[in-house]
Amino acid sequence: MRPVDFERSVTDAVAEAAAADRAPPAVELDGVTKRYGDTAAVDDVSLRVREGEFFTLVGPSGCGKTTTLRLIAGFEEPTAGTVRFFGESVAGVPPEDRDVGVVFQNYALFPHMTVGENVGYGLNFADPPEGVTREERVAELLALVDLPDAADRDPESLSGGQQQRVAMARALAPGPDVLLLDEPMSALDAQLRERLRVQVRTIQSELSITTVYVTHDQEEALAISDRVAVMRDGAPEQIAPPRTVYREPATRFVAEFVGDNNVFAGRITDVEGADAADEGASDASDGSAASDGATRTAAVDVGGETLSVRIDGAADVAVGDRLTFCVRPEYLRIDEGESRLAATVASAEFLGETTRVTLDWGGRDLVVRTRDPLSDEVVVGFDPEDAHVIDDRTRVTDDDL
Amino acid sequence: MTDRRNGAEEASDRDIDAGPNRDDAGLDRDADGNRRRVRSLRDRLEGRLLTALAVLTSATLVAVFYYPVGTVLIEAVVVDGAATFAVFAELLRDPFYFGELARLFAGESPLAVAHAYLGPDRRLGIVGFTAYQAALSTVASVALGLPAAYLLARFEFPGRRTLRSLTIVPFVLPSIMVAVGFVATFGTNGTLNAALSALGLPSVDLMFTLQAIVIAHAFYNAPLVARVTTAAWESVDASAVETARSLGARPLRAFLDVVAPQVYPAVLTGAALTFVFTFGTFPIVLALGGFQLATIEVFVYRLVRDLSYAEAAALAIVELAISLGVLLAYLRYEARHTVRARGVRPLPRKPLLPSRPTLREVLPRVGLAAYAVVAAVLFLAPIGSMILASVTGGDGALTLEHYRFLVDRQQTGAAFQVRPWPAIRNSLLFASAATLMALPMGVVVAVLTTRRYRGRKLVDAAAMAPLAVSGIVVGLGLLRGLVFGVEIAGWRIAASGAVAIVVAHAVAGYPFVVRTVAPGLEGLDRSLVESARALGASRARVIRDVELPLVWPGVVAGAAFAFAISIGEFTATVVLATGADAYTMPVAIERFIGRRLGPATAMGVVLLVVTGLSFVVIERLGGETRGL
Repeated sequence: MRPVDFERSVTDAVAEAAAADRAPPAVELDGVTKRYGDTAAVDDVSLRVREGEFFTLVGPSGCGKTTTLRLIAGFEEPTAGTVRFFGESVAGVPPEDRDVGVVFQNYALFPHMTVGENVGYGLNFADPPEGVTREERVAELLALVDLPDAADRDPESLSGGQQQRVAMARALAPGPDVLLLDEPMSALDAQLRERLRVQVRTIQSELSITTVYVTHDQEEALAISDRVAVMRDGAPEQIAPPRTVYREPATRFVAEFVGDNNVFAGRITDVEGADAADEGASDASDGSAASDGATRTAAVDVGGETLSVRIDGAADVAVGDRLTFCVRPEYLRIDEGESRLAATVASAEFLGETTRVTLDWGGRDLVVRTRDPLSDEVVVGFDPEDAHVIDDRTRVTDDDL
Repeated sequence: MTDRRNGAEEASDRDIDAGPNRDDAGLDRDADGNRRRVRSLRDRLEGRLLTALAVLTSATLVAVFYYPVGTVLIEAVVVDGAATFAVFAELLRDPFYFGELARLFAGESPLAVAHAYLGPDRRLGIVGFTAYQAALSTVASVALGLPAAYLLARFEFPGRRTLRSLTIVPFVLPSIMVAVGFVATFGTNGTLNAALSALGLPSVDLMFTLQAIVIAHAFYNAPLVARVTTAAWESVDASAVETARSLGARPLRAFLDVVAPQVYPAVLTGAALTFVFTFGTFPIVLALGGFQLATIEVFVYRLVRDLSYAEAAALAIVELAISLGVLLAYLRYEARHTVRARGVRPLPRKPLLPSRPTLREVLPRVGLAAYAVVAAVLFLAPIGSMILASVTGGDGALTLEHYRFLVDRQQTGAAFQVRPWPAIRNSLLFASAATLMALPMGVVVAVLTTRRYRGRKLVDAAAMAPLAVSGIVVGLGLLRGLVFGVEIAGWRIAASGAVAIVVAHAVAGYPFVVRTVAPGLEGLDRSLVESARALGASRARVIRDVELPLVWPGVVAGAAFAFAISIGEFTATVVLATGADAYTMPVAIERFIGRRLGPATAMGVVLLVVTGLSFVVIERLGGETRGL
């Protein structure tokens, strides 16, 4: 059982969990593998996307996220496993019969049609909602993406951001069950990207349309999603809400891929306080700790330095075990915290609000964020509860399963 | 404005209702399920449509190409109902066909044969001569084509685009007309000798020489080489060259290391196609070489005329094997060396006038100027001479007597004589019909060969085979298979000579439709197709709604090609146009040329005008229907 996200209201979570039990997931991948020759682009993936959910596949290039999306869309058929829509297998169902809307990275607007014809194209094959004419539907969708007067324009006369919105309107016009977005913003500049992702999310929640979003940008994934699947080598390493992924990365890869992180690995020299339910339990709103079970603190020897790390009460660890844990840069504080590390400044990047400083700690890199200028020699520290233990022994998959 | 906003919000509300409310969702899906079922039924029909078209195209190809050609070729190995290699064996050992090589087939030692080839009076034989003239023609075409590619790809000047489009013209000019033009230029009384004698120089007789054939072949194929090379050169990314330069390569070195490797495959493409085309050449050799400089194709024609079908078939197989061998080797090479240039920044073009009086600036331009003179003479002289000859009388004065001859012949000619109007009418009719047949065939094959599946290469090669098969054999096969009729299950199926000609022209023309349509389809962004499919369009529907409109210029070009091929086709037509009423303009020209040059040149000008006008019409039609 994964820890519950305390940021969401308990009633929401309960209602959602109950609903999720009743209704089959909008999209379900069950042991799906896609092989090209000897290489598995997607390797035994199981995941469920709930109805109305904004679900994001994120990972470095070549991790299989786009192939996963294409398997859902029906552009590819899995080598093994089953894709289900609302509990029914869609094996052999061609893309045109899957009721999906797809937006590609390059938008793929039909250059020989006007914007209005593009948006209306899907209505050749699906009726608009009752009582709405085709023209009205097109106008509706263009208004929805905030391009009410673009119907007669030539797609190529639009800016990249406008094309992206037209592609979105086109995908939504036939009223698909599932919206699939394949890096729809990666061709845009950073500012526009941030503005558009707010718009995409707004439209998505307005329509409550089940959405699967592919991106390589972890920041975008965290900002936009209900849940995120962090993928690597064709399989998800963790599937969880953004906060969980950020605060409790399941694997070292997730810890390092999502945001900045300091990952430590060492050997446990001591475990203490099995019953010492102290500061952690009372600090529930922090969300970084388990809600039940006693917590313990482990002393971990990392490169000769002993660091204190709080470990889950249920964790099966003993003195002499290897332990991997991470501490986010924002939790590494200057001259504070229980475990102290003396380091020298290696480099600094001024980011505006803060400065990202890379420290050299006995040959290892540490990253901290600070608002104040640092001297060359600094001592940084963290408290046991600021560290998150990474269980590197198992590959975590969908927390729903 | 407010109304519209309200409408949008209402719509959104509806969507929200349909979305998360799970009680409704089941109902919604039922409705969806219905829609899916209806859709998939129609879809199956559309899916079948594509399959049906593919089957129809294959059936057509088998009926009008593979079967007739097969019936002809089988005669080489089946004599009096028994399979035998005797005809082949005899052919291979005959020095008349294989020259000294025949001695090798007859069992003599390779050393002796090699020695004979090095000797002064080696015999090439028909096959050897055909390969020899094809090789010479290829060298000449590449030599003439490369400077043009250099000019077109690297220099900017007024009319560059027009010149670039004009490079397609020689290729689609009716070969018999070009032959007439060459006779008018290089013949004993041609413009060349007129010019020479005006300058007080002795006259030359190039007629019925290898040189004339090679020059005529270069006229045809150098522009082809120039075209493919220019395209490759233009797709070289300037930043690749700039990278090489920044790494320390001097201009020549950067050219050799970066540009040349990307241009070289295209040159090879041009050379391979030139070799195949000139290896199977017929009208040019027939008109410029006669039987004393016969190539295989001409000799196949002669054997067919003499009714030696077995020997003709065996010879045609030898020709086919060599052509296909070159074509397949080229296709294999092409598959390995296809360069996909997308979004490249082409090399900047230089002005024609040198910016500085340095050797490096001036020398290439002087070379190009010299080349331009040669090219102008080569490409303009035959057409100009033909037009000139058509209005020049025997006494050298301007006259319209040749055109008058055509008109008189039309009015008073006997039924067995060749009259101009039926020729024009037949040419236009056959070309239109052949284009209408070649277009769908070509588009279907283009669609099939740009999909990814096992055995695609095989389909590609099978569909392109008509390029390599002798027109004489196709004509003969159709003549005996279609015109004389076949008996199938007690039914006698026979077609008129006109139908057979249309079919032969369509088979000759559709590979060009494939070649103009397929690259467009291949280059289409896959996500356009996938977007349309995700929006609910079936595979067949996507072809209609998205792919064809986007490759429409290629389809129009293919139509123009098919039309031009048909209107200029001579080889199969001359075999099939045995009746008095099925001859076309090229056949008429050939029949005139045997007697007097004047009427032939006049007919050639008529052909030129009709072809030119047809191109304008196709261009217009294509332009108007593009929006559909």
